[in-house]
Amino acid sequence: MQATAAVRPSHVPPELVGGFNLMDDPSMLPQPLGDPHTAIARLLDGPPVFYSLNMTRNGEGAWIVVRAEDQRRVLQDGVTFSSNRNIFSSALGETWPLIPLEIDPPEHGKWRSLLNPLLSPRRVVNLEPIVRQRAIDLIEGIKAKGTSCEAMSEFAFPFAVSIFLQFLGIGHERLHEFVGWANDLLHGTPAQRTEAAKIVVAYLDDLQALRRREPADDFMTFVTQAEVDGRRMTEHEVKSMSVLLFIAGLDTVAAAIGFDLLYLAQHQAAQEQLRTEPGRILLAAEEMLRAFPTVTPIRRATRDVEVAGVLIKAGDLIACPSMTANRDPAEFPNPDKIDFAREDNRHVAFAYGPHRCLGSHLARREVVIGLEEWLGRIPTFRFKEGHLPTVYGGFVFGVEDLVLAWD
Amino acid sequence: MRVIVDGAKCQGNARCWAQDAEMFDLNDEGYLPTQVIDVPDDPDKQLKARRGVRACPERALTLEE
Repeated sequence: MQATAAVRPSHVPPELVGGFNLMDDPSMLPQPLGDPHTAIARLLDGPPVFYSLNMTRNGEGAWIVVRAEDQRRVLQDGVTFSSNRNIFSSALGETWPLIPLEIDPPEHGKWRSLLNPLLSPRRVVNLEPIVRQRAIDLIEGIKAKGTSCEAMSEFAFPFAVSIFLQFLGIGHERLHEFVGWANDLLHGTPAQRTEAAKIVVAYLDDLQALRRREPADDFMTFVTQAEVDGRRMTEHEVKSMSVLLFIAGLDTVAAAIGFDLLYLAQHQAAQEQLRTEPGRILLAAEEMLRAFPTVTPIRRATRDVEVAGVLIKAGDLIACPSMTANRDPAEFPNPDKIDFAREDNRHVAFAYGPHRCLGSHLARREVVIGLEEWLGRIPTFRFKEGHLPTVYGGFVFGVEDLVLAWD
Repeated sequence: MRVIVDGAKCQGNARCWAQDAEMFDLNDEGYLPTQVIDVPDDPDKQLKARRGVRACPERALTLEE
């Protein structure tokens, strides 16, 4: 649903208004075998910062910062460029931040420090056997049914959701129900999003109440007992944190796997290289995170500030699409080439700065292990005859109807 | 050869750690505190040190030859 045509704010020079926005540029809409990454990378040919009308769901305009170095400056300064946007709660008609995603420094640090150890690189190693077993179970289930599948609904989504449920200490008997809530929350109509938000919050409230009564060795118990500023967290703070951890690792990880399988289905030589030299999967996964990132962090300026020679006013929104920074030739030689052996791969798929994705280490292991098991168990695969996958851009890029087939 | 770590800039990307977990020894949160890392006089370690420094997305590491 579009708001009425947004008006150029008076401080935005008319020559800096660009024609692109994430929501309804044609290249962002679902298309058979679309390539929104290449399309949005064309912004690198234009000015480093420009203004886009109608960038957000409620029709607000935003500056788009295109290049890697400028994005790094924005993302590293969480005080000037605030994350306090209360997006999830707005689906409920409420106003509270997701913790720690929508909290700014200096308050942000203590919440982040609480969660960092749970998802540190070393801690994530403990989850690996379960991650691998989940991948194996799903893939062997797919193989048992025949020689084709829809990889998103049969592998990528259930894989990502079940790992997160495992981490949160939630059983995966209701996996498909959770996947459905996530789908509605992230891709539904406004009414569906509100309904799904209510259901998710109610579920997590019940779980919190249960774990306060009956502690277990899981995430929910940890947060109900954790102390910050010398006191336990309130029920609301626990709710906010668990909602964030619920939604954060769903769409994003599934889309990463989806884009990887999409690429490999079209590049059989690359597929074979990884199949015969699985040691290369680690760097290949990193390169595909660079080439096919999915997220656009958005910030709000808390003061007037200049970025790349452009005056941004306090209150303005700023979008940093990871896809453009990740193909910036100033940062990546030969940016349009997907090079599985690329070094110095300082991509921004997980953002930079204080809000650098908390789940990045777990996400990396999910992608690598998912690819290892997929390539190890499924022979050379391609798109099923007569089936082209749908690819879409927008606020979180993704893939649908990824119907693959093999012999 | 030394690696100067600016802990204030470290955001726990762990790209240095991915090059060499022993040399870039992260704390329990997965971050590198401010410190100076002495790199052993060994070609492999020196290569890893160079790569680790270049790998940091936050530019928190500086190489001193």
